Amino acid sequence: MLLKSDKIIPIVFLSFFAILLPLGYSAGLISVNSISLWGRYFCFAIAALGIDLIWGYTGIMSMCQAIFFCLGGYGIGMYLTLQADSSPAFLPDFMSWNNLTELPFFWMPFQNFIPTLLLGLLIPAAVAFIIGYFIFRSRIKGVYMAIITQALALSVYLLFIRNETNMGGTNGLTNFKTLLGFDLSQPAVKLGLYMVSLATLAGVYQICRHIVGSKFGKVLLAIRDSESRVGFTAYRVLHYKLTIFIIAAVIGAIAGMLYVPQTGIITPGRMDVKASVEMLMWVALGGRGHLKGAILGAISVNCLYSVCTTVFPEGWLFILGILYVLTVLYFDKGFLGLFEKLAIRVGLKSRKTAAAPLP
Amino acid sequence: MTNNVQALKTFIWGILCCFFYLTTYGSQDSITVFMQQVANPSGEVDRSEAIQKLLQQDNPAVLPFLAAVQNSTLYIWKDELVVARKDADTPEGYMLLRKLYPTYTMVLDDEQQPLSVSQEELQSVPIARPDRLSVSGLGVRTNLFNPNTQIRAAAYLEALQSDDIAPELLSWALSHEDDPKVLVAGREAYCYFQMTKATTTSEITAWADSLYNTGGNNTLQLLQNFTKRDGLPEDASAYLLSKAEKLAAKSAWIERIQNAFSGLSLASILILISLGLGIVYGLAGIINMAHGEFLMIGAYATFSVQLLFSNVFGIQSSDWFFLAALPLSFIVAGSAGLLLERLVVRRLYAKPLDSLLATWGVSLILIQLARWIFGDMTAVKLPAILSGGIYINPQLVLPYNRLFIIVLTLIIVALVYWVLMHTRLGLQIRAVTQNRNMSACLGIDTKRVNVITFFMGSGLAGLAGCAMTLIGNVVPDMGQSYIVDSFLMVVIGGVGKIVGIIVSGLGIGISSKILEAFFEAVYGKVTILFIIMIFMQFRPKGLFPDKGRSAEE
Amino acid sequence: MIDMLLTVKDLSVSFGGLQALNLHNFSLAPRELRVIIGPNGAGKSTFMDLLCGRTKADHGTVFFDGKQILGMTEIQIAEMGIGRKFQKPSIFPSLSVYDNMLLATKMKKSVLASLFFKMDSAIDDKIRHTAVRVGLHGVLDKCAGELSHGQKQWLEIAIVVLQDPKLMLIDEPAAGMSDRETEKTGELLLELSTQHGVIVIEHDMHFVKQIAQKTVTVLVNGQLLTEGTFEEVRNDQRVIDSYLGRSNSERIKASI
Repeated sequence: MLLKSDKIIPIVFLSFFAILLPLGYSAGLISVNSISLWGRYFCFAIAALGIDLIWGYTGIMSMCQAIFFCLGGYGIGMYLTLQADSSPAFLPDFMSWNNLTELPFFWMPFQNFIPTLLLGLLIPAAVAFIIGYFIFRSRIKGVYMAIITQALALSVYLLFIRNETNMGGTNGLTNFKTLLGFDLSQPAVKLGLYMVSLATLAGVYQICRHIVGSKFGKVLLAIRDSESRVGFTAYRVLHYKLTIFIIAAVIGAIAGMLYVPQTGIITPGRMDVKASVEMLMWVALGGRGHLKGAILGAISVNCLYSVCTTVFPEGWLFILGILYVLTVLYFDKGFLGLFEKLAIRVGLKSRKTAAAPLP
Repeated sequence: MTNNVQALKTFIWGILCCFFYLTTYGSQDSITVFMQQVANPSGEVDRSEAIQKLLQQDNPAVLPFLAAVQNSTLYIWKDELVVARKDADTPEGYMLLRKLYPTYTMVLDDEQQPLSVSQEELQSVPIARPDRLSVSGLGVRTNLFNPNTQIRAAAYLEALQSDDIAPELLSWALSHEDDPKVLVAGREAYCYFQMTKATTTSEITAWADSLYNTGGNNTLQLLQNFTKRDGLPEDASAYLLSKAEKLAAKSAWIERIQNAFSGLSLASILILISLGLGIVYGLAGIINMAHGEFLMIGAYATFSVQLLFSNVFGIQSSDWFFLAALPLSFIVAGSAGLLLERLVVRRLYAKPLDSLLATWGVSLILIQLARWIFGDMTAVKLPAILSGGIYINPQLVLPYNRLFIIVLTLIIVALVYWVLMHTRLGLQIRAVTQNRNMSACLGIDTKRVNVITFFMGSGLAGLAGCAMTLIGNVVPDMGQSYIVDSFLMVVIGGVGKIVGIIVSGLGIGISSKILEAFFEAVYGKVTILFIIMIFMQFRPKGLFPDKGRSAEE
Repeated sequence: MIDMLLTVKDLSVSFGGLQALNLHNFSLAPRELRVIIGPNGAGKSTFMDLLCGRTKADHGTVFFDGKQILGMTEIQIAEMGIGRKFQKPSIFPSLSVYDNMLLATKMKKSVLASLFFKMDSAIDDKIRHTAVRVGLHGVLDKCAGELSHGQKQWLEIAIVVLQDPKLMLIDEPAAGMSDRETEKTGELLLELSTQHGVIVIEHDMHFVKQIAQKTVTVLVNGQLLTEGTFEEVRNDQRVIDSYLGRSNSERIKASI
């Protein structure tokens, strides 16, 4: 039963979103905007997978994950900004307001797609390496880790909202037109990006499954349980934490790079402390320590957000706040924990198999 | 009999005076006539002509009148021509008056204080735009009598650049000036003006001394500029340079004191917020992200008390509201904390990361609630006793509101220290902080200790919020900007250590003000964060860590 | 003279003014089983913490296998071949018993090796063999957190054994075990000492009597009181005093 449902759910998920939804669109039942919206949800789900790896599995509560999402997003955003005008002397408006006459050096590599793609992944990885190295080396963990990363998120956010840093200030980067020659406003391109997001989600999920299932994944769980025991068992905890931190950062960056062409804007508001905490919330709500939970949480919170902001815009923060409190107080295992409990009660699953993982 | 003699004497004296007046100031009499024509013209042409006539007068005493014409501040009050203006503390609907001619003097009441006159008693003299524009040709000259103090101060500086302004005009204008800031700028300009006119070294150094003593904002630059003049005697130039150096050193010191002072007041607020945070975290392992919102609640409590006093009790201009708001903000924020403890936090003791997420949610709810009730921005009026400051010299004024915050913090810290160290409750708090289970075994009601500590901690944040209304606006998310700093302080200080909080608060407060002097505020903040990260490399458990085997767990 | 596995000289550490340990001379031969006894607060666990790198020493030297190990991280020390079992069982409660043992087993423990680790029958055999030795073969698939206290103790011993260290530091192995289990633990420790150096901290005198073949070290107030055979130590008046608290009470009187 367990093995079966393990395979059934991804297949149902994939066939629904890869076949049914596009069919619905071509039949005119679903607007291209909803398709694009779901594409963005998948991006959030990808980011949530990364967070689940470091928080759910390794027990590191990092409150700066949105930085990595945005570093990827800004990378592709810079490329798209420069693509919007083909003249060689083109400068984005906000740079002209800063009295710049030529492109700053750090914008140069983003004129082409391949360097953009590489830097969009390498920069977050490097940043994660530096942050992670110094934090994990001095064995900052738990609450201290949360507070330090929170302060980091704040300071990076502050840097990005400044106009002098030439990253577009509070307005961020927008007015994107084409990606690799495809017009971003075309419905077909939107559908294509949606499909790419879905495929990436599936791919990242598969990689995460491999990581979690390997001995490496077991060491991660062991670090969550008792970091000191892992050290006394001769594992280099620093290397493990650093590796998973970098992997999570790169996954976040991938999500950001897919997200920006679909929304058409990236602002520093996506990387403040609030954004990072919200990402944690997706995972907590879905069920931390379960990859499916992370995806479920990211998609459901964002669906709720879309519904709320159209129906009851003032109330969204109330609902989000209450969700935080309720999740922590009453279902700290998230939706998946809830389903499991229900399944046990209904009798679909016996108590024993639910508790003991198979070797 | 005596009355008659008296009357006769007065009469003769009056005639003599008139005679004297007419002979000495014969030409000025025509000025009065022109001014009356401006005030009560027989036709528009008449007024323009009178203004043109006045413009031709080479008498500084005409300028205040023309300035009043230019700025439409000319009024008739009790058949006299006056210029009206407002000061910072003039009541609504009232004006301060100056007589214009022949003397330019303040209208005073019986106690020799400036008289506030109701606007209804004033009759405005409407001046057409072309006439006003024709006056503005005088430029700097009329600006010296502008009702706006900043324009007046700038006019003196501007006067330096134009060659056709006589020093007599400056000294005449200065002798009628009453604003301290404008006076400083004016004296500065006057001394510099005289210095440029001086020919001998001794004259130059004498005026340079006077210039140095004015203590104006531009003195340093003026001195330096002057040394670059051609044909300046060498000894004079050397003297000026030495003066400039001395001044630079002095202003550097003033800047340092200013930085230390504003750093101290920032540190005070941070300490006030972090005290409660640190004690609660040490005691119960709760990371209360909603702590900043208790600050906000305290600030809104103060705002509500102010509304209550002015709208319900009808006490308009009184400082009593603030005195009442201090304890009330403590109680209101404390009670909110109590509610939070009962509803949410009590289930999360010793689960810091869970408590972090849950209280983050609470903070979202509270901010949105405040926005819903009070709107986006409000402000509390600064109590009159706390406006102004200790005047040390023109560049260095220590504002009372900031001093008040520093003193308040000192008192609170002392009080908290006393409670923790010398009361039974404090002993229990310290015991539970060290070992919760053992304390419970020894018969300490740890739940009660939790509740009381949470009340105190939230109350202290509320008090900080009340103090914050003295220096800033009241906005729903005001707590957010301090919460990260406060947590960093708790982390740096070492868990649950008051001394740690005070030391790290002073460190962060003062160093961020010093860094802000070099960089922009944002870069200062980022720099501090990096310093903290490096610090944590060497002392991951803070400044004052627990030692021994219990700390290793 | 044989090369000593462990040689400790002038090792001292203090916590906030309290001298927790001040050990002038201590050595252990390869394949020796040494029991350390002493009243509470004697510095026994602190001694082990210092040896395995959990606590930093104030000064002193510790030579293990010919190398100075003070100042190394606990990971380096573990790689050198010192395994530690704690007083409070330290295992991975959310992993299965089998996975707990798998992680402990001696092999390449780098990140890449773990990512691309393939299970082979040699490792599986070793784990199952050890599980039989510590009596956990029936609960290999169970979550470690669900074990009884005694089983957790066994699991931690198995974790240390599977690391195949040259020196095992075993802190109170018999706590929370029945008499039968305690005896079995004793047998296991004796068996282990034929291949590894073992230091055991223990309070239970019956257990000490069972495993102490050669030397028992007595620590009191952070200092070495005496060393000798079990019988010698048991009859030493100073040891009895320290356990009964006479010397403690005298010290307190003296300090007042």
